[in-house]
Amino acid sequence: MINLRDKGAAIWESQGRLGRIGIAIGAVVIVVALPFMGGTILNTPIADYESVLVYPIAMYVLMAIGLNIVIGKSGLLDLGYVAFFAIGAYTMGLLGTKTDLNTWEILPIGIAMAMFSGIILGIPALKLRGDYLAIITLGFGEIVRIVALNLGALGRSEGIINIPTPPSIFGVEYRFDSHRVYYWTLLVLILLAIWMVRRLSVRRAGRAWESIRQDEDAAELLGVPTFKYKIWAFVLGASVGGAAGVFYASKTLFIAPDNFTLQISILILACVVFGGMGNIWGVILGAVILGYLPDRIRFISDARLLVFGLVLVIMMNLRPDGLLPRKKREKAIVKKGAS
Amino acid sequence: MELNQVTMKFGGVTALNDVTFDVKEKEILGLIGPNGAGKTTIFNVITGVYQVTSGEIVFAGRSLSGVKRYKITKSGIARTFQNIRLWGDMTALENVMTAADTHKKSGLVSGLFGLPVSRREEKRDKARAQELLDFVGIGEFSDRLAKNLPYGVQRRLEIARALGAEPKLLLLDEPAAGFNPSEKVELATTIRKIRDAGYTVLLIEHDMSLVMKVSDRVVVLDFGQIIANDSPGKVQDDPRVIEAYLGVPEDAS
Repeated sequence: MINLRDKGAAIWESQGRLGRIGIAIGAVVIVVALPFMGGTILNTPIADYESVLVYPIAMYVLMAIGLNIVIGKSGLLDLGYVAFFAIGAYTMGLLGTKTDLNTWEILPIGIAMAMFSGIILGIPALKLRGDYLAIITLGFGEIVRIVALNLGALGRSEGIINIPTPPSIFGVEYRFDSHRVYYWTLLVLILLAIWMVRRLSVRRAGRAWESIRQDEDAAELLGVPTFKYKIWAFVLGASVGGAAGVFYASKTLFIAPDNFTLQISILILACVVFGGMGNIWGVILGAVILGYLPDRIRFISDARLLVFGLVLVIMMNLRPDGLLPRKKREKAIVKKGAS
Repeated sequence: MELNQVTMKFGGVTALNDVTFDVKEKEILGLIGPNGAGKTTIFNVITGVYQVTSGEIVFAGRSLSGVKRYKITKSGIARTFQNIRLWGDMTALENVMTAADTHKKSGLVSGLFGLPVSRREEKRDKARAQELLDFVGIGEFSDRLAKNLPYGVQRRLEIARALGAEPKLLLLDEPAAGFNPSEKVELATTIRKIRDAGYTVLLIEHDMSLVMKVSDRVVVLDFGQIIANDSPGKVQDDPRVIEAYLGVPEDAS
């Protein structure tokens, strides 16, 4: 099978500065224009194409980028990622209906709440490793959902209704059916998340995470404050999940515990693994495909989940490291300035 | 650095029994002993992998008991591993840089916003990491992934990575394991070069000729106890050392 990752990297590296800017702008233009391609082959039968772009696709992409910091970068298996999504969403639901704060004001609060719960979960849980960590996070995800199901203030199983849409900003209006506006706003959030991850990956934090993922004991013994960096990975992952949650609540106008089941955690994990753990472009591609596919093949109705599962099984057999695996290739050993 | 009456017990097994010795500044101290004598255990208690059952380890005037492992490294002790434990999916240069991050002031936030302090440190550390790779003689491999490097280069990279953490005391755990005679000679030169550059070295090694050649002093360990602590020449003639390695004549008959 062709190695997409290396092909892509080779094209990118062969370009000069101008070429790269060109490719980046081209990619952004295509992505921004996606809502206008509803009439083409991309169209989803039955489900509304533009709303599919918002949820699941863009939402999955955002969450997968967040989860990738935790799983792909630092190798911490988190099976309760939906908890942070839920915390963001419930922060929006509660503050949006009970106070005068609007979505833009609640967004930082929701992110802060998610980060804070990341610390609360991380301090006891990150003393454990591997399977044990996975079990604890799995439990945390369920605890959050069950608390929402039983707490009167959170509306129990009826959830929270009449959550306000975001007020207009820079003259852009958010009506509940103007999907493309939500889509573009999510794109901004996604770009911010990509910027953050890429920025961190090349510096000290990226190296610390990488060393923790590969050999945590060796990292600790060579001076990496592993616990601190694991908490950071958790908290940053949580912040992205929280942001997605706030926006999700403000888009669907209604949230209930049923929206935040273990299945979401597993699906986002599937996006990360399917796309290629640790490679942000792979993760994005994985989330787009896994978000889009079930709606694209909706015309086969009940068989669609079967096909979806089959695609997963086949792909993971053909490409166990994901569509675009993490960096494995060595840079050509040509020093700059060497003649 | 000194160890005072250090005892380490695992359940009923006493791995180290009342071990007392010191490492003087800028010396190469060889630590030898038969298999299972407790040499690597000494490294593990010094670096904080195990907490001592009793006794005390003092480094630069401060006790190391209860200090977190990465802080021990930060205070100036770095080690290599007997079974190579490099970060395989990182390049040689990144391996050294990660250890060099130990003393960085800039962290996550300044890195995120690309603050000048972070950028300056990054540039300086990169140059230093390359220097260290050159210093141990593997400069040309800096861009290669650690797992793809030949065995001998990996062993040397372990040393360069430990040096990256800017230790005052360098702990080498069998750095010559698996080396052929000519590689061992080169390694001896490197170890002396490290000492001459101002580092103190504590060396575990099975190869007697190498230990005797490079060490200023040798500590011999047997069944968790120190049986000799002297210059290489005297240790070689010590009847107790010979006994530990070869057995007493009665046994042999």
